[in-house]
Amino acid sequence: METAVFRLEGVTKRYGDLVALDDVTLDVRVNEYVSFLGPSGSGKTTLLRVIAGFETPDSGRVFFEGRDITHVPSHERAIGFVFQNFALFPHLTVIKNVGFGLTYGKKPLPNAEVDKRAREVIAMVGLAGMEDRGVDQISGGQRQRVALARTLAMQPKLVLLDEPLGALDANLRGRMRNELRAIRERLGVTFLHVTGSENEALAMGDRVVVLDRGRIIQTGAADDVYSAPASPDVAHFLNRFNLFDGTLAGGNFSGPFGTVPVAAARKSDRDVYAVRYDRMRVMPASAAAHGPTLKATFVASEYLGSSIMNFFETGDGRVVEMEHHLSLGAPDIYEAKQDYLLTWNPDQAIVFGREAR
Amino acid sequence: MSDATASVPRKDWTTRLLLLPGVIWMMLFLITPILMIVYVSFWTQTTFNISPDPTLDSWKQFFSSTTYVGSLWTTIRIWLIVLATTFIVGYPTALFVGLLVKSKTLSTVLLVICVIPFWTSFLIRVLAWRPMLGKEGAINIILQKFGIIQQPIEVLLFTELSVIIGMTQIYCVFMVGPIAFMLARIDRNIIEAARDLGAGFGRIFWKIILPLSLPGVVVGAIFVSVMVLGEFATSGALSGRKVNLLGNIIVTQVGSLKWAMASVVGVILTVVMGIVIAGFLRIVDLKREL
Repeated sequence: METAVFRLEGVTKRYGDLVALDDVTLDVRVNEYVSFLGPSGSGKTTLLRVIAGFETPDSGRVFFEGRDITHVPSHERAIGFVFQNFALFPHLTVIKNVGFGLTYGKKPLPNAEVDKRAREVIAMVGLAGMEDRGVDQISGGQRQRVALARTLAMQPKLVLLDEPLGALDANLRGRMRNELRAIRERLGVTFLHVTGSENEALAMGDRVVVLDRGRIIQTGAADDVYSAPASPDVAHFLNRFNLFDGTLAGGNFSGPFGTVPVAAARKSDRDVYAVRYDRMRVMPASAAAHGPTLKATFVASEYLGSSIMNFFETGDGRVVEMEHHLSLGAPDIYEAKQDYLLTWNPDQAIVFGREAR
Repeated sequence: MSDATASVPRKDWTTRLLLLPGVIWMMLFLITPILMIVYVSFWTQTTFNISPDPTLDSWKQFFSSTTYVGSLWTTIRIWLIVLATTFIVGYPTALFVGLLVKSKTLSTVLLVICVIPFWTSFLIRVLAWRPMLGKEGAINIILQKFGIIQQPIEVLLFTELSVIIGMTQIYCVFMVGPIAFMLARIDRNIIEAARDLGAGFGRIFWKIILPLSLPGVVVGAIFVSVMVLGEFATSGALSGRKVNLLGNIIVTQVGSLKWAMASVVGVILTVVMGIVIAGFLRIVDLKREL
């Protein structure tokens, strides 16, 4: 408990009738990397803004280093915030941007000291030699690093990142991901990272917090969330599962794929059957199958480098995705507009239901 | 290959053709008149006649007359004062309209309210100050009613002060508009980022908001300067002819058919404006900022 650097207690925030945050409670430990995952409008940015002090919660408390900071203005919180669009000062050079907080902040440092520290941080994010460039003369990825350096120069204990990788192309995103992790390990800073990308959330976070409609619906280690989503909504946001509606009754799940026995089910307010994309198997339409089977038409495939995504459409028009990892061998070639049978091992499915045992 | 070489001169032609109407217009109605004014300023003026014999008489007359040179300094003094007052009144207004008002609709409505006085004619706006500022005008009556003053304040009307009050009111909106526009373009995240880095409101204003709105200030200052330097109506109507700007001199000289003298003053006014605008443009690279 004494390692909790940061704590939210029943934080609620409304905008008129819209409940942006609904009774959010969360503990964050020192030197932890927490990713918030949720669809847009789930309240994740509001949560970050409440933590940074740009918004005041309607009820609930925010604690930071054991102090109640609910009503402390943002500039006295010593919490760093990296904006989604970087929000660099457009009229200043790279080094002036990075040194801004040190020069004009709460505890102004002498110019020589500002210069020294700004240069150190700039070198740390790999921008040495760019100190005197204007921020409109550098690339998107470099601007992102300036934004990060500007925040890190203040040596905050907690850094908030608002979809900071969203504005970058995929290649840079991967590199920044690694660099962020390295920087955190070097400085021992706690990072809270908001993202709409499940890949980013799973890759970056020690812990993933899934938000939906202003509520935390699951908290856990990345692999726990991935392999055991707590609700159909979480499974949906992870974007890794085919979800089928149906009914769970007497230990059997009846869905579009027939009725299959269910070994274990999670409590939920609706009956949903989830199968991971890479657990799906494809068979010829004529094959005799045991267990769950779903007749579907092949639509298209998408090459992802290490795997291939195959898209099938069932009779009622829903798309079922099947991922084939190329490490498992060359992919089968499916013909467009041909019918196939989709199946899977029922033991690997995740079932949610009102009648959970 | 032949297509590519052929299209270059054709493109050239299109460019020239598109430029032509503008160039003709500017030649006829800007360049030629200015050259004409410069030329006429060297003509020989007698009481009832003017002839194109070149002479420096009018120029000598201007610079040897304390009235004329005095009016040049009056013009510059009033211009600087009005520039300062429109900025002092205009910037906070723009700050409110452009930055502090969060709703875009409300800020547009507020800007329109600033422009509403312009729905009446310029002269009416100027003359409306007379019943406001006069010895028995609204301000004196109200102050006397409340017992704040016993005698009416007479410096309010037909003085330099009334000219400054009138011009500030009339030209303020030209300062507010461009500044509010620049302020509205500032990304709110930038201000929050500065706050997050620990800067207080004063620091954020001086180091972030003011520098980012500077192009708006420069554009506003150019608008106000060009209009105030060429003014004659406000000073004529509100000063009781006591304040003579270069504009007023041109009006009287033209009225008494002294074309050469009017041209001299016109050339001087144009040069002053040119220097002022060039000076403002040195502060900010507008091409980059806008």
